[in-house]
Amino acid sequence: MLIRTPKDWALRESAATPEKIYRLSHRRDFLKSLGVAGAAFAARDLLAATGGFPTKLNPAYRDAALKPTPYDFITSYNNFYEFGTDKADPKPNAAHWKPEPWTVEISGLCDAPQKIDVNDLVAKMGGVEQRIYRHRCVEAWSMVIPWDGFPLAKLVALAGPKSEAKFVKFTTVLDPKNIPGQREGTLDWPYVEGLRLDEAMNELAFIATGIYGQPIPNQNGAPLRLVTPWKYGFKGAKSIAKIEFVAKQPRNTWNIMAPDEYGFYANVNPRVDHPRWSQASERVIGGGSGVFGSRQRTLLFNGYEKQVAALYQSLNLEKNY
Amino acid sequence: MLPGKKLIVAFLEKLLRSKAVIWTLIVLPGLWPLWPIFGSHNPSVLADPLKLVLHHLGFTACLLLVAVLSFSPLRVLFPKWGVALALNRHRRLVGVSACVYGVLHFLTHLVYENGGGATLSKILTTALQKPFQLAGLITLAILIVLAVTSLPVFVRWLGGKNWKKLHRLAYVAAAFAAYHQATGRKIFPQQVLWIFVPLAVLELLRVIRQFQRTA
Repeated sequence: MLIRTPKDWALRESAATPEKIYRLSHRRDFLKSLGVAGAAFAARDLLAATGGFPTKLNPAYRDAALKPTPYDFITSYNNFYEFGTDKADPKPNAAHWKPEPWTVEISGLCDAPQKIDVNDLVAKMGGVEQRIYRHRCVEAWSMVIPWDGFPLAKLVALAGPKSEAKFVKFTTVLDPKNIPGQREGTLDWPYVEGLRLDEAMNELAFIATGIYGQPIPNQNGAPLRLVTPWKYGFKGAKSIAKIEFVAKQPRNTWNIMAPDEYGFYANVNPRVDHPRWSQASERVIGGGSGVFGSRQRTLLFNGYEKQVAALYQSLNLEKNY
Repeated sequence: MLPGKKLIVAFLEKLLRSKAVIWTLIVLPGLWPLWPIFGSHNPSVLADPLKLVLHHLGFTACLLLVAVLSFSPLRVLFPKWGVALALNRHRRLVGVSACVYGVLHFLTHLVYENGGGATLSKILTTALQKPFQLAGLITLAILIVLAVTSLPVFVRWLGGKNWKKLHRLAYVAAAFAAYHQATGRKIFPQQVLWIFVPLAVLELLRVIRQFQRTA
């Protein structure tokens, strides 16, 4: 009897891009309309963060126990207030937004401040790799997302932070003309997030430029989006325009909005409740069968205790939520 | 008033006098989530369908509570308006249905929160500890007391005056419901204003009117 043992680099079927989505990709249509299909090199300068694909699977960041959330849910259930406050809003509202070409500014207390085209940046980072990470929202729901991108530590190394630099500040693009939510005073625009420098250099910290092996859709934060899987999702600044190395802890947008509900650290912690709900468990997006769905236990640091616990040994996690 | 307009008002009055019409208006909103869940295959709903049911039931409960509370000020302010008179015939039905939606909202919450180590006692303990959830529980408790005491036996047992006094608690319930809804989201939801401000204005006008009368 032949027993087939899947190799650990083998991609599960659920990770493959469904044909329908492959065909529907706006960027591919755009390429076709220009008549440059196949001439990816010519298009490289035009399109944001399409560089670096096809992605390479990083087997160190895959876990057979994690079942990736379907692509449709990852790209239709989004908190991206720049494009509307309902989770269904960002997909239609960002559909015609053009994040390309895109220049990201690396500045502040570093040796190599620069403004760099996102595709040049991806090339300098050595292309993109795929990692399957848990994603836990502060609203007590979770997904499993196959992100494509590069480790943030590589970008930090490229910038070369000076010794005074203690934090990294991420700023989302400010473009109220084309981003409808920014014309309203919902949040204090532009969206700002921050990490301690040692957090930014942790092996898990990641800059995503794709999902499921294809360029990241606008509603998920094209072209550059921060991913820190041990923290609540709001730490993941989307559509990053500026990365600054700073000496003082930056105030992040949600902390400004509601300091008693959202802290700077935002580490996933089942023992520290949100003022309005428990964080001990989470709804699994696309989980269960039928209408009822399912709920699972929330893990300390979202299951990444081994990789990040050392960062917080001397920190009171209840006070520094 | 134009004769055409008069006709429309008369028709509306006749329509709203009918119990069947009111029942339909009460039941239909409860069925609404079935469409996005089973009919439209909308992935942003299917990501967590029960959440839509949960929010929708609570939303409908708020709407019905505000609706029933607006009936009597409407009658005081517009004593000759047939529509207001027609609506006032259904106060008990609409009030009890607000309670039923509240109960369904709470039961859905229990199902939604269940699992991942969350037992019934843990869910209830959490609800008592969080002001946002506690406000919902207080609203529900009041609505249940008011619905039960709306049974004819209890109305007789309490007597008109006591019954009226007790049922003023509905305003307290509305205040807690407004707080519950206002704090339910990360940023202030505008819908709270659309729902509760008109009621507050009506009540204010009613109080002024009654004050003028007694003065």
